Formats: sequence, structure tokens, C-alpha cells
Amino acid sequence: METHVIWLVGISLAAVVLIRGGQAGNFRKYPLFYSYIGSVLLNEIVALLCYQFARDFYGPLYWPTELATIVASYAVMVEIFRQSLRHNPGIARKGLKLLLAAFALTVGYAATDLLHGQFANATRAIAEVGRDLRYIEGALLLLLLWLFVRYRILLGPNLLGLIVGYSFWVGINVINLALVFLPDNEFSAVARRLEPITYVATLTIWCVALWASRPEPVQPTEGAIERDYELLAAKTRSILARIGL
Amino acid sequence: MTILFPISVLGTLIVVLAIRLLAQSGRRPAVTVDEYAKAREALDAVFVETAMIKRIFSLEDAEFVARSATPDVTRSFLNERKKLALHWFRRTRKQLAALMDLHLRLAGYTYDPSPGFELRLTAKYLTFVAVSNIVLLLVWLLGPFKATRSISYAIRVAGSLCTTFSVLLERVNPTGLSSGRQSLVH
Repeated sequence: METHVIWLVGISLAAVVLIRGGQAGNFRKYPLFYSYIGSVLLNEIVALLCYQFARDFYGPLYWPTELATIVASYAVMVEIFRQSLRHNPGIARKGLKLLLAAFALTVGYAATDLLHGQFANATRAIAEVGRDLRYIEGALLLLLLWLFVRYRILLGPNLLGLIVGYSFWVGINVINLALVFLPDNEFSAVARRLEPITYVATLTIWCVALWASRPEPVQPTEGAIERDYELLAAKTRSILARIGL
Repeated sequence: MTILFPISVLGTLIVVLAIRLLAQSGRRPAVTVDEYAKAREALDAVFVETAMIKRIFSLEDAEFVARSATPDVTRSFLNERKKLALHWFRRTRKQLAALMDLHLRLAGYTYDPSPGFELRLTAKYLTFVAVSNIVLLLVWLLGPFKATRSISYAIRVAGSLCTTFSVLLERVNPTGLSSGRQSLVH
């Protein structure tokens, strides 16, 4: 019963995020993010229908659909990168290099891990690929967050909410996955119960942050630049006068 | 079990940085011409004072006063120099922190940050913060004439940081900055 309620709340919230995105005009601003929400919603509806009417399919379908959702969530990372560093070309260039290097390193590590793994069945292999992809996503997100914090990147309220919700979801999900895959760990059961709650909390954050379209930071106008330059020239003249040149 | 620790740290760091990002969102990151001009003034002040401050810690002065003055005058001299030294270190630390903050905010949109350079600058700044804390404690406990090696090292690091900041500020095109009335990106 409890699982069903959380499931239905999750589906409703994802639908609300999508509907409000369309009404507020956020679709055009964050197309990749809303594509991800759309894929998650579709996945949840199919999973619920399977669970209700064809339970035999639910088990074999769970990990492949989970893997598809994790792959789709990389689109959110691309969206965050694209939107947040639009006005910071220097950091965007360096950030892209750093992200690609981190991606190559972690994929290499995960691939080696996978090649040496002894998998009992295909489902287990898919589940482990999904887990490794989530770890890679976590590492890339950490790097991106560090760049935003270090260089005080200015973010609009919508994008900030998107990033905070996504970070919360990925951060908790990474810890959950690590616990779930540990054999005989008493925290595994807690982690499994915590995941749907985290998912609902994330959707709530997105729902609130993306309820309305808020203005993003903009570049200064030509007039402002000219006025600023005049101001600087005046300041320089006064400094030169003060030191007697 | 070995994988659990780094992965938990990764997850926790993501959540912590997200909270930090949320907390810093209220602050104004854009740099104004006023701030730029103030930074230049602060930099000039640190440069000039760094050259003069060596005099405060000069052992020659201490030896001269010890030789020729009464104990009261010596005590007063030591107290004054101690106060002056502490004041200078605190002020320089504040000014360098402001310059570092300005650099990070400017780096966001004015020039191409090089990872190697950024790493070196951060290491240098953190060294200065650590050394200046130790020096402050030593000056406060022992007076300005006892920890001369640490003091001269801190002064050297401060001077070197100022040189770096000076080069960085030279590379900034002030026409890209906004006036105090409005921020660059809002």
C-alpha cells in the first residue's frame, strides 16, 4: 500500500513538472531536462502497469528500464553544463576538458571492472552497468558543482532549482546503490526504502523551482559598457591626480 | 565494503556542494568597476606596505632601543611594534582574501583560467593563510622580534601573491565590468 502511494505520488509529481514546464514555457529553455522527465514518467507508468497486470514481466524489466533512465539522466548533466556556463566561455572550455577526462577515466575503470566481473546472469550485469554509470555521473556532477562553487557562477532561480534537485537525487542515489550492492548489509533494506522517498523529494524540489519561468542572468548592454568605461576613466584620472602625475 | 566509503563520500560531497551552491546564490558574484578600482588600490597599498613593514620587524631597531632606552620606553616600543605587526598582518590577510575573492569572481567571465595556474595560486594562497595564522600567534605570544624567519616567509608569500594578483588585474578589461549601480549579469 505504502509503495503504491509513493509510486502514484511520484507519477503525479512528474506529470505536474511536465505540465507546468509546458505552461510556463520552460520546455524551450530546458528541452533535455524535460525529455528526461518525460522518459522517467513513461518508465514509471509502464512499470506500474506491469506491476499491476503482468507481474511476471516486472522483475526482468526493472534493471533494463532503470539502466535506460540512468543513461537518459546524462541529458540533464548536458543541460546543466550548457545552460550554466553560457556566459563563461573560459570556464566552459576548461570544464569540458576536465569533464571529458573524468568521464574517460571513470568509464575505463568501470569497463575494466565489468570485464573482470563474474556475473551469474544478464540482469546482474545490466544492474552493475547501471550502478557504474551512476557512479560516473556522480563524479562528473561533483566536478561541475565544484566549478560552480569555486567560480561563483551566477545561476537563475530555475536552473539553480534544477541543479539542486538533480544533485540531491544523484547524491543520495549513489549512496543507495553502493549499499544495495553490498551483500549481507543491514543498511540495504533501509536504502531500498529510502530511494522512492528521495525520488519524490527531488520531484517536489523541481516542481517548486520550475513552477514558473524566472529570468536568467543576462549580459550588460552596450550603453552600460560605455558608461562603465567612462566611470573607470574618471576614476583613473582622479587616482593619477592624487599621486601627482 | 571497501567501495562503500569512497562512494558514500562522493554522494555526501555532492549533497554538501549543492547546499553550498544554494547558500551562495543570494550573494552578488558580478564584479563592479568600484570593486575593481578598490582592488587595485588595495594591491598598491599591500605592495607599498610590504616594503615598509620589514622595518617594523627590524632587529636593528630593537637592539638600538634595548641599548639606549629605559625599560619603560623599551616596553612601550615592543608593545607598539607588536600592535602594529598584528594590525598589518590582519589587514593584509583581509585584503588578500578580498583579492582572491575578486579573482575567483572575475575568472568566471573575464579570462581563460588555466587549471595549473589556478592550482598554484590556490596552493600559494592557502600557504599564506596557514603561515599568517601561525605568525599571528607567534607575534601575539612572543612579540615581533622573536619569529623573524616565519615573519619574513609570510611577507615573501604575501608579496608573491600580490605580484600574481597584479598580473591578473592587468589582464582584466575594465570595459567588461559594470558600475556599482548594477551588476554585470543581472
